Amino acid sequence: MTKYVIRRVIQAIPVLFGITIVVYSILLAAPGGPTAKFANNPRVTLADREAFKKSWGLDQPIPVQYCRWLGVCNPDGQGLGVFIGPTGWPNFLPEALSGAKNGMSHGDFGVSVTSGEPVGARIIRAALPTVILAGFALIIWISIAIVIGVYAAVRRYSFFDQAATIFAYVGYAMPTFWLGIMLIYLFSGPGLNILPAGGMTTTRLSPPFGSDEYWVYFGTKPIEALLDVGRHLILPVFTLVVVNIAGDSRFVRASMLEALSQDYVRTAKAKGLPGRTVTFKHALRNALLPVVTNIGLEIPFLFTGAIVTETIFSWPGVGKLTIDATRDFDYPTLMGVLLVTSVVVVFANLIADVTYAFVDPRIKY
Amino acid sequence: MTEQPGGSIPEINVEEVERRAEEAGVDYEVQLESLNQWQLAWRKFRKHRLALIGLGILIVLVAAALIGPIISPFVFNNVPKPDVAVYAGRGPSLTHPFGETGGLQRDVLQLVVNGARTSLLIGFSSMAIGVIIGTIIGSLAGYVGGFADNVLMRIVDVMLSLPLLFVILVASRFFGNGNVLLIIVIFGVFSWMGIARLVRSLFLSIREREFVEAAKAVGVRDRRIIFRHILPNAISPIVVSASLIVAANIIGEAFVSFLGFGVNPIYPTWGNVLTNALTFIPVGNWWWPFFPGLAIIMTVLAVNFIGDGLRDALDPRSRA
Amino acid sequence: MTETIEVRRVGSPPPAEVLLDVRNLRTTFHVMDGDVPAVDGVSFDLKRGQSLGIVGESGSGKSVTALTIMRLLDIPPAEISGESEIWFDGKELLGMPIDEVRKIRGNDMAMIFQEPLTSLNPVFTIGDQIAEQVELHLKVKKKEAWQRAIESLKLVGIPSPERRVKQYPHEMSGGMRQRVMIAMALSCEPKLLIADEPTTALDVTIQAQILELLKTIQERTDSALLLITHDLGVVAEMVQNVVVMYAGQVVERGSVNEVLIGPRAPYTMGLIESIPTVDKRGGRLSVIKGTVPSPFNLPPACRFEPRCPYAWDLCRTVAPELYETDHVGQLARCHLHTPAGESRRKAAIETHEDAMDVGRGMSPRA
Repeated sequence: MTKYVIRRVIQAIPVLFGITIVVYSILLAAPGGPTAKFANNPRVTLADREAFKKSWGLDQPIPVQYCRWLGVCNPDGQGLGVFIGPTGWPNFLPEALSGAKNGMSHGDFGVSVTSGEPVGARIIRAALPTVILAGFALIIWISIAIVIGVYAAVRRYSFFDQAATIFAYVGYAMPTFWLGIMLIYLFSGPGLNILPAGGMTTTRLSPPFGSDEYWVYFGTKPIEALLDVGRHLILPVFTLVVVNIAGDSRFVRASMLEALSQDYVRTAKAKGLPGRTVTFKHALRNALLPVVTNIGLEIPFLFTGAIVTETIFSWPGVGKLTIDATRDFDYPTLMGVLLVTSVVVVFANLIADVTYAFVDPRIKY
Repeated sequence: MTEQPGGSIPEINVEEVERRAEEAGVDYEVQLESLNQWQLAWRKFRKHRLALIGLGILIVLVAAALIGPIISPFVFNNVPKPDVAVYAGRGPSLTHPFGETGGLQRDVLQLVVNGARTSLLIGFSSMAIGVIIGTIIGSLAGYVGGFADNVLMRIVDVMLSLPLLFVILVASRFFGNGNVLLIIVIFGVFSWMGIARLVRSLFLSIREREFVEAAKAVGVRDRRIIFRHILPNAISPIVVSASLIVAANIIGEAFVSFLGFGVNPIYPTWGNVLTNALTFIPVGNWWWPFFPGLAIIMTVLAVNFIGDGLRDALDPRSRA
Repeated sequence: MTETIEVRRVGSPPPAEVLLDVRNLRTTFHVMDGDVPAVDGVSFDLKRGQSLGIVGESGSGKSVTALTIMRLLDIPPAEISGESEIWFDGKELLGMPIDEVRKIRGNDMAMIFQEPLTSLNPVFTIGDQIAEQVELHLKVKKKEAWQRAIESLKLVGIPSPERRVKQYPHEMSGGMRQRVMIAMALSCEPKLLIADEPTTALDVTIQAQILELLKTIQERTDSALLLITHDLGVVAEMVQNVVVMYAGQVVERGSVNEVLIGPRAPYTMGLIESIPTVDKRGGRLSVIKGTVPSPFNLPPACRFEPRCPYAWDLCRTVAPELYETDHVGQLARCHLHTPAGESRRKAAIETHEDAMDVGRGMSPRA
């Protein structure tokens, strides 16, 4: 098992490396580059721009820039010494060993060009709302999808099964942002107006979520604060659940049907086991194996998939951060977000594989 | 009737050997006469009720996209003088069956019909790009194998690990310039990975089958093996994936354009016509976002139904 | 659920010594292309502690018969005729509520399937899978059930059962898995053991071991055995009585010795003639010409008629029933055993005997 995990981690390294290259290339190829925002500013002279470039290391050859960004190269080093950190160990090692703290490998994503904050801090701040939103949605939709999928498979071709099929088709076809807009009309529009249309907290009641003042407020009125966030969660969670149940319930259904048609189910019946033991022990246990993997593959969704929903409901998460950064050409933030989310995907895949190996006794390591 | 060349040693006839090889793998191989094959497929397709409905919807949408803008009494760029009294727009009525938007008071039916052109164009063209790239890369990886396979599949791994919607959003914003063609290319180059994996795995499994070995044994060239023996078997799964790509790209484009990072609003799509719709929701203007969204749902449903129908129709193993 | 069957009128139970009595069993599958009469009027019985073989080609309905007895077919697509009866241990099975059937399944009546790999659940240990059944039927505690599972494994000759019981099916060889299946079937000491092609999926050397095991166990435990196979050799080794099936019908039944040495239905004759044996070396191996008829397009009268070397007009117009033959207790579905077939009967039997003798004549041992 340990060997298998190690092999799997080693396999992930070239992928991670490839991701850094792709992310770096995209932003390198982007028109204008980091100095674009000064281009039309008459008060910034050519000399100022050169000085800016030099201070950010943008005058160096691209591979050097890439290596520094990655944290493999030491910005102060010369010749082959660029790979050596201040303490004489390779630069990419953790700060405690190498003394270096530049680049991605040391968690240094640079500074946002719009707000001047460290990108790492921005991502961490945005991550919490995203994890809250997508986490709730994920738990709810997977539970519902399993129930729907299993029931539809057990009662195949029944009215329920056919209704679930239609729902899945329509749910799959529905654009998330459209569903969000329509829900806002239904529940926060001029008619009902019972739920907040967006945001994570009610502005006149509480300070913005995540700020220091918010946690003070949270400390004094925790129940009120939780209820407020809860109210704001309902519509975006509902949106995510509806659009994502579709595919997953089909997946569970297919997996369950597959399991129900297996010989061992017939054996279980032949042993005289009651129907529910046959279905919920022998078939379901097998049917859930691929579902576990699928859940693992959906974990990255905690970061990326909520982008649409977050935008519609002004949820202050990673999705909104990305869209704001895209709008403002905030390169360091975008690179940070892309890299962090890609790494999350790679690790989620890894965890999914390892979990599968763990739950399926047939997998040999 | 031709006379039998009694006693003489028959020459090896590649076509004949192929035919026999195909018969050996008969449950996998397509019929020889392509006309019959398509007729057969059409016969099976016609039995698929949902697929026919999907085809009907799609024909209506395409027709609307092509003819609608021409026969429509309204001109898209002709902005009527906003009537301050009806700032919130007007609901569906006889003259404007889908209502009028708030603000500029544009006819929503007009938006849907004009949007259909660009949205469908983007959905299908980007799918075509994705399928072509994916098939080429998948065939290369699957047929050549070895190092090339390894490199290409690692590239696929990397691409699939990227948060694609993020990347497309950023790429559209940075390189798209609101240009329809560039947006098509951007969606296309991020749509091929699934197809490539699929084609590669089909190559790996089909390559080992008897009829391909038989064809190789009599000296049939690689290119012929790929195009004549392997790719026809891959059509059915590719078609299904392609229908999913069309659906995903139409929805994706709508979202990107809705945010204002996609197609320039002078070319209406089902996404960019909604850019300001959210602002008018509090005044009750539901018809503005509703109908373009409905058009997206109908299109995606239609494309999925057709995809399902084609899968059954093109699968040589399924029977009508 | 679809598993219950409407109330049916039934005849009287068979005498106490008869464990299993199948009467006029008709199982039809309603599929897209039409109705398949998979089992069409099959009757036979099996006494306590005895053994019976059902022989036939694939598609002859022998497996469906077994699954019908176990009530394991999904209804629909399957449909069992209201006139069919299956008596087991004094109770009628087809009209029984499914909950009652469950008390019998795995307990009094156990089944061994063809594919030991796919028939065992891959995600549970074999101990789990055996103990589950023991706990359910014998109402014992988990620990005791596991102990019993170990004993069952020991009984079927699995070495170090204490260790094996904690293993998963994929950790064992094919032969071992089939032993596990047998152990599982035996764990509740069933009165009837149904084995559906138990050795088909196994290597030849393992086949012999498994058959030997089945035979010893059946003798030792006093359970009756219903063995389903396409292999006449297996039948000859394993059972006392045999039922030969063709296209959903019983074509011949009787004791193994009589049916194999003196077959009276032309189909059985052909089947026996086509077995390659050492005796027949150098002789011509005979085959039954033609193929099994499509279930959608059965011959109008006798289903074997198109392939039968002795068929005449009557066989194309009147469906034969099971007739008494010159061997007491041996029945054959063939007009040869009616007065109308009297003249042809002798010729047919002689031809068969000659065919077998020719083979023997060639043998150096003869």
